[in-house]
Amino acid sequence: MTPPRAALRALGYAALRVAGAALAGALLGLLAGHPWLGIAAVLAAYLAVQLVMLYRLEWWLQHRSVADPPEAHGVWGTVIALIARLHRRKRFHKLRFVQLMRQLQQSTAALPNGVVILNDEREIVWFNRMAGQLLGLRPNIDLGLRIENLVREPQFAHYLEKADYTNPVVVRRSSPSEIFLSLQLVAYGDGQQLLLAADVSRQMRLEAVRRDFVANASHELRSPLTVIAGYLETLAHDPALAAEFAAPIGEMRRQAERMTAIVRDLLELSRLEQTDERAGGTPLDVGGMLALLRKDVLARAQHPREVRVRAESAATLIGRESEIHSAFANLVDNAAKYTPAEGAIEMRWWVDSEGGHFAVSDTGIGIAAEHLPRLTERFYRVDPGRSRATGGSGLGLAIVKHVLQRHGGSLEVRSAPGEGSTFTCHFPPERIRPAASVVVAPRTENA
Amino acid sequence: METADLTHHISRRFNEDLERVRTKVLAMGGFVEQQIQKAINALLEGDSALGEAVALADHQVNNMEVAIDEECSRILATRAPAAGDLRVIVAIIKTITDLERMGDEGEKIGYIASRLATMERPADKYREIKHLGRIVTEMVHDSLDAFARMDVDAALRVARQDRLVDEEYEAIQRQSITFMMEDPRSIRRALDVMWIVRSLERIGDHAKNISEYIIYMVYGKDVRHTSLDDIERALGERNAAGANPGQGGA
Repeated sequence: MTPPRAALRALGYAALRVAGAALAGALLGLLAGHPWLGIAAVLAAYLAVQLVMLYRLEWWLQHRSVADPPEAHGVWGTVIALIARLHRRKRFHKLRFVQLMRQLQQSTAALPNGVVILNDEREIVWFNRMAGQLLGLRPNIDLGLRIENLVREPQFAHYLEKADYTNPVVVRRSSPSEIFLSLQLVAYGDGQQLLLAADVSRQMRLEAVRRDFVANASHELRSPLTVIAGYLETLAHDPALAAEFAAPIGEMRRQAERMTAIVRDLLELSRLEQTDERAGGTPLDVGGMLALLRKDVLARAQHPREVRVRAESAATLIGRESEIHSAFANLVDNAAKYTPAEGAIEMRWWVDSEGGHFAVSDTGIGIAAEHLPRLTERFYRVDPGRSRATGGSGLGLAIVKHVLQRHGGSLEVRSAPGEGSTFTCHFPPERIRPAASVVVAPRTENA
Repeated sequence: METADLTHHISRRFNEDLERVRTKVLAMGGFVEQQIQKAINALLEGDSALGEAVALADHQVNNMEVAIDEECSRILATRAPAAGDLRVIVAIIKTITDLERMGDEGEKIGYIASRLATMERPADKYREIKHLGRIVTEMVHDSLDAFARMDVDAALRVARQDRLVDEEYEAIQRQSITFMMEDPRSIRRALDVMWIVRSLERIGDHAKNISEYIIYMVYGKDVRHTSLDDIERALGERNAAGANPGQGGA
């Protein structure tokens, strides 16, 4: 790199000036008879000036944040101007960086959600004000502590253990005040993690209000319905009833029955929703249950000609009997409803390394692929006209889904229009007990 | 140089072991905390299923205790810790015993709550129990927080709370006696309520014990069976003498 031209020029001037001064000194010395002494004196004076300048520069560099740069000409002036410019530029960048950092920190601190930065050991590195408030963390003191030592809710521990952070986990904290928190971990950078915390108490309360409303409304509807159904029943058998009323009364009875079914299923569903705890339960004899379900189907006024039960395993399923029965009965009921009299239904129970499976296959009308993902939604109708005629509540599969969720299982549906459907319930292996084993005490089942 | 590295390595692995056990203790504490809270909620909300669930889940607390106990024995046998580290292990062994007992009390509350849920509820909807339950659950929470932070001041505050619990306990007892005299039909329920209040009071005692272990763990001073003022005075002298409290150790 070539030195800047201005500096070169200043250097040239300086050299000229030194030479001129030396010449003048020599002339003065010649007058006194000692030319060398004259040169030496002038050069010494020049050196003194330089030293003073050097000292002033050094002093300014030491105090550059408060003092103005020294006034100077020539090379010194250029050098000082250059240093001052570098210094100004550096200060500008630093200021901008500090401002940026401050803005960043202020904006994160002002976030309505809690943010905690964790290192690869899940130790707290930094957290914003909201996180301190929501999680009860104390600034500075809690840095370096493991997050799970302070956020001790078992659900959070379970979430960390599973290491699947795609969905947030909701925990209920009661200290210092009752609050529902949604917690989510986000991995970033080199093993670092971000814990996001949000107060979801409002949503949870709204959800609870909705559940309570559905439960209460269904409960309240039940008694008037019973009265209506009762009078309709009496009316239908009244010999004095004019013939033209027979058909309308019959239709009213059917609709009252349907409403009763809907109310019953709504109550069942809201009961399932009330507790999201995993259901415990007792060992259930699935084979026996299927045999009873078969009898129920055959007792229907119209039923498919063939109803087969294939219980391939004698292993028992750990679950709540009422819930499992309700789920299985719903599936079998659906199969019976949508299968014509000449069709067939098969119930199968088998156990393999992946757990226990219960499948209901029918040779009924089948379901088009576009409906399959939405089947378990409440009141979802594949064919509105048809299913109302069959008298379902529209809640059966929603109940099945909830029951399976509570038992750690899942529902699989395979179907094609005209070829029948297969609904399969999968249960995890820990829910299965081999038939021969004696269960010591029901309370050790979940261990 | 090599030996120094080796010892450093060993002590680091030892620290990791200790830290893991501490995390397990706190996880157990978190579970017990929730058990107690759920048991109280079961009573307050008249939720018999919840009370039953609490009573059924107590065996998990026992399993956790056994697992931590085994790990502590293993550390004692293989690492032969001394001084501060030994105190940590000893304190942990004592702490999990208290946590396990808290779990048992929670189980009792859950069981009684599920029974009370089927009976008529009193007009005040168990307001005093709600109040006492709040103090006690906070004590449990704060003692575990103090354990996580090795915070002696917070531990002392928890120990002080115990007096308040005792006062509440006696107040509810007096009130129950009045109820029973006024209306003998309420005796059955009042007795059940007394069992619950008794359990809550016991939980408060266990929380106090845990905070005493924290003081022992940090200062190496056994403060059981000592009045709180004496504890504070002793700790104050220690601090004044310039002794290193070793906060945040291990």
